[in-house]
Amino acid sequence: MFWSKTRKALRARGVMGINQRNGDYILRYNKRSLYPLVDDKIQTKQMALDAGIRVPHMYGTIATEQGISTLHRVVEQHRDFVIKPAQGAGGDGIMVIADRFEDYFRSASGRIITTEELEHHISGIISGIYSLGGHRDQALIEYRVRSTELFNRISFEGVPDIRIIVLKGYPVAAMLRLPTRQSQGKANLHQGAIGVGLDLASGVTLDGTWHNLKIERHPDTANPVAGLTVPDWQECLELAARCYDLTGLGYLGVDLVMDHEHGPMMLELNARPGLNIQIAMDDGLLRRCQIIEKQLEALKDETRPVAERVAFAKQQFAVAGPVPAEEE
Amino acid sequence: MGSVKLQARLLAVFLLLLGGGSIAYQLLVQNVPLSQDEKDPVWVVDAQVSFSAKANKPVKVRMFVPPLGVGYTTLNESFISNNYGVNVNVEKGNRQVTWSSRRAEGNQYLYYRLMLTPRYADAPENDPGPQFRPAPTLDGPDKLAADALLEPIRQHSADVETFISETIKRVNELENDNVQLLLGSDVSPENRASVIDLLLAVAHIPAEPVHTLRLAETQEQQPELWLRSFNGKKWLYFNPLNGQQGLPEDRLVWWSGPGPLLNIEGGKSADVSFSVHENEMSALQLAQSLRLKDVSSFIDFSLYELPLPAQQLYRILVMIPVGVMLVLFIRSLIGMETLGTFTPVLIALAFRETQVVWGVLLFTSITAIGLSVRSYLEHLKLQLLPRLSVVLTFVVIAMALISLLGYKLGMGSGLSVALFPMVILTMVIERTSIVWEERGGTQSLKVALGTLVAAIFCHLLMVWQPLVYFVFTFPGVLLCLAAIMVLMGHYRGYRLTELLRFRAMVDGDKR
Repeated sequence: MFWSKTRKALRARGVMGINQRNGDYILRYNKRSLYPLVDDKIQTKQMALDAGIRVPHMYGTIATEQGISTLHRVVEQHRDFVIKPAQGAGGDGIMVIADRFEDYFRSASGRIITTEELEHHISGIISGIYSLGGHRDQALIEYRVRSTELFNRISFEGVPDIRIIVLKGYPVAAMLRLPTRQSQGKANLHQGAIGVGLDLASGVTLDGTWHNLKIERHPDTANPVAGLTVPDWQECLELAARCYDLTGLGYLGVDLVMDHEHGPMMLELNARPGLNIQIAMDDGLLRRCQIIEKQLEALKDETRPVAERVAFAKQQFAVAGPVPAEEE
Repeated sequence: MGSVKLQARLLAVFLLLLGGGSIAYQLLVQNVPLSQDEKDPVWVVDAQVSFSAKANKPVKVRMFVPPLGVGYTTLNESFISNNYGVNVNVEKGNRQVTWSSRRAEGNQYLYYRLMLTPRYADAPENDPGPQFRPAPTLDGPDKLAADALLEPIRQHSADVETFISETIKRVNELENDNVQLLLGSDVSPENRASVIDLLLAVAHIPAEPVHTLRLAETQEQQPELWLRSFNGKKWLYFNPLNGQQGLPEDRLVWWSGPGPLLNIEGGKSADVSFSVHENEMSALQLAQSLRLKDVSSFIDFSLYELPLPAQQLYRILVMIPVGVMLVLFIRSLIGMETLGTFTPVLIALAFRETQVVWGVLLFTSITAIGLSVRSYLEHLKLQLLPRLSVVLTFVVIAMALISLLGYKLGMGSGLSVALFPMVILTMVIERTSIVWEERGGTQSLKVALGTLVAAIFCHLLMVWQPLVYFVFTFPGVLLCLAAIMVLMGHYRGYRLTELLRFRAMVDGDKR
């Protein structure tokens, strides 16, 4: 029978399902009381700054309807910036302003936006349209990250980001998320962005996934997505691994961006990272998580330094298979 | 983690045992009918006494009637007579009715009617009987014949049981000289029984005749004679004509002892005729009518004890966990997305009042109207709260218009939009529009469709009468449901939709 065959094959590859992720990982490793730390981007940013983790510079926040009038003062000094809801999910409600002239703004996709429209958007953010559960929210105005040249070949508008799944401080999986025409510059898979698997050991891109399919070329640029090397890969992994010590969340999705000037920056954290990364990496998350859990058991849950954890992950999850330990 | 899992499993097993146990108790001990349509036979036994009264003399008619509550539950018993006083007394395990009248003339008819059912009956009581009796003194040829008969019987028997059946066999060998001597010329069952009784008495074995009626659809029948003896543990029944042992299931003991069925003073040519009819009655009705008669039945301590309006309410409420369970399956096993966990169940409840087809039409059309108003209002750049309020107002207007239209077209009854569905409807629109804002149109359509499908299935399940009856009658089902839900909390398998989603990873293997 088709179903049981697929089920068995997925089980054999160590693919994680939603029920398993929710029950065995999120519920087990992520304490509910820690969620606000990652659900509110302003808090996350503050925490990261205190710990010395690089994040996009925050220009200001707007929390009330009256505060909307202060927008022009906040962005006075900056030609380009990003407005996002502090508690948004899945990249909704993010507006990227690339340029401005007189009273008009120009979005990253080239659309002209009036001040009124911008203010309406902020008002929507504040009233909680984009927040989880529709609570009142704050609008966050921050530095606009511009991607490195390297990624421009395989992305369409927007800024690609790197999603790294971290289990108890050990990176287990990583993918590069590339915006497409369909995703309108957003790097979220459910909105039509592409996920490209990354070799944890080297930071080299593998094949990708788009709408749950496997792909080899970017649908908009037609360039092959495999074979690129992400710069500063070691730094990316260490940054992601540190986010565990920062938040205490054991099962964490860390989103990084590569700024052309400042290098890797932590963009946001996610306490319920999606499962599509498995298709992008063509490997099961469960299989990898179990390797880490075995290691943790061997170490009796002792916390190891970041460098050691990253080294272990690199050694275990190299695409060519586990690297012999002597090489490290 | 492992210990938590074990604890959850133990809890589930405990709940399952508790629920299953209560269901089993109700089914096996209390004999609660498994389904609403379960019918029980109800036997109506009519006895007609006819006689002609002697003029100007007081009349007294005595007749045995069955003892109540032995093997059968009595639903109703009535004595029908004209101008007779009725008196019932109990004597040595028998009941006897006495009809009496100062004077009567001509043909008289007295009726006795008994309604019985095998359900909810107590097990036949085991009043111990005597195990020994003194032998009567016989003399002359009778003694010789009796001894001659008893000799081989003793040899061919091992205990009381075999002794009696052997005796019956012998006495029924009518060509035997000794038997002929004892029987005389009378070979009627009664006389044979008395000869058997005599022989048993000589052997000190107690026995008594019992008169039984067969509970089968018959117009005319006479009581059948059986013999019974107490062996120390239970009563053994024997048919004196053929030695058959054990009283068949369908026999009703009318009276025991040698006395005649009818005793009449002041009358002559008395006759009793029995007729038996079978009726059917729903088991539930039966239980309820028994309750009125204060016979203990499963109704006690069940939801049936509540006043009727509360019962109606609980019939709906107990089905909610069933609906929630279905939504749980749809979400966790299949992976279909719905608006919240309870929304489909609430919509399903609303369908009770609008009926499914109308409900679906109404819900989709009003939700569509609500959403289109919403999208226009977004164009006007209204804020969230005022926008939602406007949407809700328009929903009410739309509902009123649809109801009005339906009424004008003469479909008033089909469109009874109650307050309850309306509140649920507004909630659905609010949630759908939030999903629309957050996730876009396709996603919200997908979720709304999933919710609707789940709601339809929930509704069909929640109004399925046999299931409603079952859950309402056996509330232990709810504990079993809770047990399954606890187990579902530790379900880690793939959802059906995930098999589709990750198919690409498996297909890659085959290449």
